[in-house]
Amino acid sequence: MTQLQARGLVKSYGPTPALRGITLDIDEGEIVAVTGPSGCGKSTLLHCLAGILRPDAGEVSWQGHRLDTWSEAARSRLRRTDFGVLFQFGQLVAELTAAENVALPLLLAGTGRRAARTAALTWLERLGVAECADLRPGEMSGGQQQRCATARALVTEPRVLFADEPTGALDTLTGEQVLTQLVRLAREQHTSVVLVTHEPRIAAYADREVILRDGVIDHTGLGLDAPLTGGAR
Amino acid sequence: MSLATLTRLALAGNRTDAARVALTALSALLATLAALAALTVLAIEKPPGDAWQQSEQYVSDLLSQPGLRGGTAFALVLLTIPVLALAGQSARLGAPSRDRRLAALRLAGATSGQVSRVAMLETGFASLGGTLVGLAAYLIGRSVLHRPDANGLLALPTDVLPPVSAMAAVVFGLPVLAAAATAVLLRRVVTTPLGVVRRAGRTGSPRPWPALLIGLGVLAAAMIEQIQWALQGAGLEWLALIALLGIFGAVMGVIFGVGWISHLAGRTLHRFARRPAALLAARRLTDDPWASSRTFAALLAALIIAGGAAAFRASFRLHAEIEQEQNRQAGYGGEIYYNPFYLDTMNLVDLAVAVAVVIAVAGLFVTLVEGIVSRRRAYAALVATGVPRATIGTSIVWQVLTPVVPAVLIALGVGYAIGRLLTGGVGRGGPQPDVPLGQLASQGAGAIIAVLLVVGLGMLFLRSNTAVEELRAT
Amino acid sequence: MSTPHLLLGLLSTGTMHGYELKRAHDTRLPQARPLAFGQVYATLGRLLRDGLVASTGPERSAGPDRTAYTLTEQGRATLDRWLSSIEPPMPYVNSPLFAKVVVALLVADADRARAYLVAQRRAHTERLRELTALKTAPSATVDDVVAADYAIAHLDADLRWLHTTLDRVADWHREVHS
Repeated sequence: MTQLQARGLVKSYGPTPALRGITLDIDEGEIVAVTGPSGCGKSTLLHCLAGILRPDAGEVSWQGHRLDTWSEAARSRLRRTDFGVLFQFGQLVAELTAAENVALPLLLAGTGRRAARTAALTWLERLGVAECADLRPGEMSGGQQQRCATARALVTEPRVLFADEPTGALDTLTGEQVLTQLVRLAREQHTSVVLVTHEPRIAAYADREVILRDGVIDHTGLGLDAPLTGGAR
Repeated sequence: MSLATLTRLALAGNRTDAARVALTALSALLATLAALAALTVLAIEKPPGDAWQQSEQYVSDLLSQPGLRGGTAFALVLLTIPVLALAGQSARLGAPSRDRRLAALRLAGATSGQVSRVAMLETGFASLGGTLVGLAAYLIGRSVLHRPDANGLLALPTDVLPPVSAMAAVVFGLPVLAAAATAVLLRRVVTTPLGVVRRAGRTGSPRPWPALLIGLGVLAAAMIEQIQWALQGAGLEWLALIALLGIFGAVMGVIFGVGWISHLAGRTLHRFARRPAALLAARRLTDDPWASSRTFAALLAALIIAGGAAAFRASFRLHAEIEQEQNRQAGYGGEIYYNPFYLDTMNLVDLAVAVAVVIAVAGLFVTLVEGIVSRRRAYAALVATGVPRATIGTSIVWQVLTPVVPAVLIALGVGYAIGRLLTGGVGRGGPQPDVPLGQLASQGAGAIIAVLLVVGLGMLFLRSNTAVEELRAT
Repeated sequence: MSTPHLLLGLLSTGTMHGYELKRAHDTRLPQARPLAFGQVYATLGRLLRDGLVASTGPERSAGPDRTAYTLTEQGRATLDRWLSSIEPPMPYVNSPLFAKVVVALLVADADRARAYLVAQRRAHTERLRELTALKTAPSATVDDVVAADYAIAHLDADLRWLHTTLDRVADWHREVHS
């Protein structure tokens, strides 16, 4: 069943077009990689799908409801309850411990502190960083931080997880470990994942790959719009 | 390096740097105004006559009495203290990113001298801009405000101008001083191209020792009669020095004590916090309790003076009332007579305190915005994950208000206690001045409302600093 | 691939029968081209002849399956020598993929070249996904992961090269056709 639907998304930053008409469906439990060279509009697409940005034109529908017309507060609530968001780095609150960072979305939803902490500890355990529970981000390695961020993104058991270059700041092995855990947990919970990456080997964790080039979907995957031969003449 | 290159590099900042430049200029402007005002008072010429010959053209005794003008000028110079605090807080604005930029210049091959010249140029030019505007404002102000009243008397000494050399010293001296201070502050960055030095681990939690300083200050005030007696005419200077030291100790005690208050408030808040906003604030308070000390230093110093002034005013009132009572008993009846000189002076002190509070609050604003700007990436990420901006805003309100409310109460209390002890009663067992609760309450409430207004204003910066674009900058 | 050295290496863990040797090979090198029984026995025969392995257990007449093989001193020395000699790092670029992409870019029929490149990329991507699924499966052993990693790294390199080469195609044509 289609969870998230984008129809003809257009978004520009000033005179610079980032998305030039993107149409895309994301099914329940499906892991979709969005790839493409730098500046192709990957992150912008993710931000539009997650309701962080409003597209200039086109529609985003969540379970059949037009998301792009909702108020900022309503979209915020949706991101808190049904969506999880994971970035490359720097998303944990520096002053809070790992457990508190993970508990934050639950506290926002009104869960009591004790229950939120218990849930946070469970998730830290699942991501293999239980020993970091009372450390602050500054006292953890990059991999540990990213695992905590993953735990925070998954703690509300979201329907869709948006991950923007989640392994971008990690070394190959750590990145793979984080991603493997993320994919395993997402599959267990039937969470859809939108995975933005520029690396083919990271995209290979997805069920499907959508390749962007200059703000449109490139179905060849090779950017073969231009003539192949005699290009110089 | 040519001057053009230097200027180009000095101007190569982002909007935080622009804000720092603007604030540096503003503090230079304020300092210029205070210094020029002090110089103007000093420039009033004593008319020929004996040592007490007054300059009759002014409304206020503070200006017309030669013996008081020195004090007035000194008070004006004292006003530059909160201004300097503001300048110091401005210098912290965006400091990490500037340090990185300068370190990058070092990596690109600039010598340490060249790098410090770039930074000095920024501060120097910003301050020069400020002092020039300040001079212009002063010159325009004195011609606009030159309005003799019906009796031909002047409210302000708009009829005299300080010597040009003194004015030039202020206008050009301040930027040079500011540039030199920058060079001193940047020593660390200048020495290493790797620039950014990690802050060493968590500092120990503050202890309530500063309370001892407050105690000493209050004790000095309480013992003032005994000390006076013990000194036995060893000179009023010594007595004044002891009183000043006591006040200074109490001020320092309150300022450093705020670190402990913050830490305690943070711990208490953390224990009872139910909502994320309070939790965030609690963690920030325990994480860097000294931030509150730095932030509120100027405000608290001003409030201590305000508390003391309230005690003095209450004492003057009491004396006037006693005098009237005695007159009435002696059969003279008539209106209550307040010596206008004392009350005028108190009004001026209150005005100075108000100005100091405004400047201190401006400094608070700078620190607040700096805090938001430096955390913008984490904030933007939180907003992206669905944390409402209101939650972040509330956490900032908690973070500011939790320590400031007790700190304001303590500052006013300490200030009042010292003032009350210094003025003394009217003899043993005589009538004691009432505690001016109304005035103290309005001062405290005023300060807290001003802080709240500033926090509200700071929230305006939250929106632009949590935009999703902040996540793109890597 | 040097099958004799591989078998010597597997035998260094202890005496094995021919079929055990084949099983050990398939476990340790899970993604390698499968080794046929015939090839195992033919190689063992040659190793026996050169005195690098010795047969133990029942006589040969009892059938090849009943014979166990063990590493000789000479065999161990040969293995050591092989292990201490380095593999020349890519002395020739002779991958079929490389040849085909270069020819595809050269031929005049752009559509055909395009179709080939798209299909090749798709195949690479699918294999990459398959191997990723294999190595992230809960049942995957370290042997599986190491083998999959090797293949993934190479496919990843191929794909990157393919993309980079296509982005260079304009430069390339300038050079070839001018």
